[in-house]
Amino acid sequence: MRSFQESEDFVKRLFKSYYLKWRGDPPREYHKREYAFMLSRKGEMIRHISFENWNEMKEFLVKNVPLHVFYSSAYYLQPSAPEMEAKDWIGADLVFDIDVDHLYTSCKEDHDNWMCLDCNFNGKGVAPEECPSCSSKKIESKAWFCEKCIDVAKEEVIKLVEDFLIKDFGFSPSEIEIVFSGRRGFHVHVESDIVRELDQRARREIVDYVKGTGLVLREKKKKLLIPPLNAQGWPGRIARGVYEIINSRSTHDVAKLLCLKKGKGITEIEGQLKKILSKLEGAEGYWMLEGEACKVWLKIAEKAVLNMRCEVDERVTTDIKRLIRLPETLHGNTGLIVSKIKMKDLETFDPYVHAVAFRKDEVKVKIVSMPKIKFLGQEWGPYRDTIVEVPLGLAVYLICSGNAIISDEERRHHAKGDI
Amino acid sequence: MILSKLDAAKYPFTSLAAKIVEKLETELGVDSILSPNSEVLRRSIERIREAIYSGVTSIYMKDLDVEVLSHPLSLFLVKAVNNPKLLNVYAEAEKNRVFVNIINEDVNKIALLANDGFNWHVKVEKERIFLRFDEYLKVSVNMMDSYWKLVNRKLEEGYVEVTKRDLCRLIAEAYRGKIIEVVMRSKENIHGGLNAVIEELSKEVKAILPPTKIQESVALNEYNPSALPPCILKLMSEADEGKNLPHMARFTLATFLISIGKRPEEVIDIFRRLPDFDENKTLYHLRHIAGEIGSRTKYMPPSCATLRTFNLCPSSDEICLKIRHPLSYYNYKLRLLRKK
Repeated sequence: MRSFQESEDFVKRLFKSYYLKWRGDPPREYHKREYAFMLSRKGEMIRHISFENWNEMKEFLVKNVPLHVFYSSAYYLQPSAPEMEAKDWIGADLVFDIDVDHLYTSCKEDHDNWMCLDCNFNGKGVAPEECPSCSSKKIESKAWFCEKCIDVAKEEVIKLVEDFLIKDFGFSPSEIEIVFSGRRGFHVHVESDIVRELDQRARREIVDYVKGTGLVLREKKKKLLIPPLNAQGWPGRIARGVYEIINSRSTHDVAKLLCLKKGKGITEIEGQLKKILSKLEGAEGYWMLEGEACKVWLKIAEKAVLNMRCEVDERVTTDIKRLIRLPETLHGNTGLIVSKIKMKDLETFDPYVHAVAFRKDEVKVKIVSMPKIKFLGQEWGPYRDTIVEVPLGLAVYLICSGNAIISDEERRHHAKGDI
Repeated sequence: MILSKLDAAKYPFTSLAAKIVEKLETELGVDSILSPNSEVLRRSIERIREAIYSGVTSIYMKDLDVEVLSHPLSLFLVKAVNNPKLLNVYAEAEKNRVFVNIINEDVNKIALLANDGFNWHVKVEKERIFLRFDEYLKVSVNMMDSYWKLVNRKLEEGYVEVTKRDLCRLIAEAYRGKIIEVVMRSKENIHGGLNAVIEELSKEVKAILPPTKIQESVALNEYNPSALPPCILKLMSEADEGKNLPHMARFTLATFLISIGKRPEEVIDIFRRLPDFDENKTLYHLRHIAGEIGSRTKYMPPSCATLRTFNLCPSSDEICLKIRHPLSYYNYKLRLLRKK
């Protein structure tokens, strides 16, 4: 237990060194925001703090060395009032959260694992609802963020920003900020006067739009008006989604999608799909689909909506008083920097390079378990119950995420006060 | 395109209407407008009575000055009568009045009215009409039909495509909202000479619009599991299986059960099997929701729309189609069960 505490102290000292050199930018109209901090793993959140002067923020960070730093997406007249009602809400940025926790990635089977806290039964992949061995619900999961996960999350960010926010909602790139959340995803902040005063219900409409929730697809008297592939907004998205499904799957697969009994009506479906495909390719404007093919279209379109929508966490966007991580601070569960990213750099952004705060030195840590990870351009692991010398940034990452402690040797070394 | 005095009479939300009111008030003096035999006062009372009896107000063409002036005075009287039902009925009638007039205007004039009255950005391009999405949303959230849902709309570069009829409905609805806002916000200072008029009007309003009895059908202590809506039943069974419910699911379950009269100490049993159950914490939250501690706010369960957004609406049955709130479902079904 002592070594765990010492590992924590070790991390704290490093966090302090980071904040001593900290030069984070204030958010827009920073004095109208509420700030919140978590100083320890088990502690309470300190909230309702505001800063009249950005230097005070830096002083606070150095003095208290918080593990987590948040600010409100909302603007208040009285940001430090202890009661929410007394804060006098005047507006809020529009915030989106894209997190791999909410996305399906095949690699989770390789690097995520879970354990039942009651009987120690464990397995790989996404944690089940209940333990298959003793049916307990007390399951602890360990999740990692690998290159595949990062790519899936990035794709979702690109879809959200370019497809939805810029094309459909008409925001300019200068109003949109992309931030690596510090752990397994990204935040997208829209700071625009147009959205500032929108209430929860209006923001829910925006989330529903992005997620395709409540999208109604209906035929009228066996007739359907089909949009051209280049139509803007959801109509074009659906047309392109349907095209992609028909184009990339065998007729049998599509028949499965339509829940047809094996082999029944395949030739008929084949004919309809061909017709739809050629119509889609040739159509310049809206066109009319008639007869039985409408049913086929609607079934495929339902699936297309799921492919084309953007997976954001609705809770974050609809909350007009959300606390969200402050860019350029450290994430207490990874030690990584919550980093602002320019759209043009998103493609090449690698959190295990660009968001690493501690780039020098190596330390010996006792690793409980860790899958193979590429960190600072080098592959490490997999490790299990071993003592390894790893880059300082990786050591911090493992200690913060509860997968390692400082090795005895290192502790003796640091007791002399070398760091 | 210039707006006329007739437009100011038809569309009280225009800046021209406000200007005319200001000018006439200075010219005539408030005392003469409010005198017992004032034509404006007569018309204002008539306007309110039209709303009560026919659900739509008319336009008094004989004297447009009187008509324009009667708008703010009607609002003043509605405020003084201080009957929430009257406010809704009046706002609805005025909305209808604006709609039947504006629908006959030319598209460019409608765009002008929207811009002048509500600062809306309307684009008219060839045959298509667009409204900026934030302005659209501020009104469309009050519309129930999926037709108005943003996801079912063409949204291009920040603008929502609307038909002429849609735009007219949105303007009329925005006007309705404005009336309610103005009346709720205005400070009352009753002009001495109006006491008798207001008294009489209040009596009439009470007679025609009896207050709806707040249905005590959410009978406290009447807990009937057969009347629970599908969403709550599903959450209860999931809690019973010890599923790790997301925050919104827990909040919905707690607020719903407390709203139908269960006590925090009873509700807590539902959460017992949750994987991270903590007796003290849960009880604290439940008591907070029930308004027993903390800010003393009693929290309402989320509406169907919210539940749908959070994927907590399993699927609707035929009752769901008639209601917008899980509590309405419970009420409705309780009554059905009683009839049986």
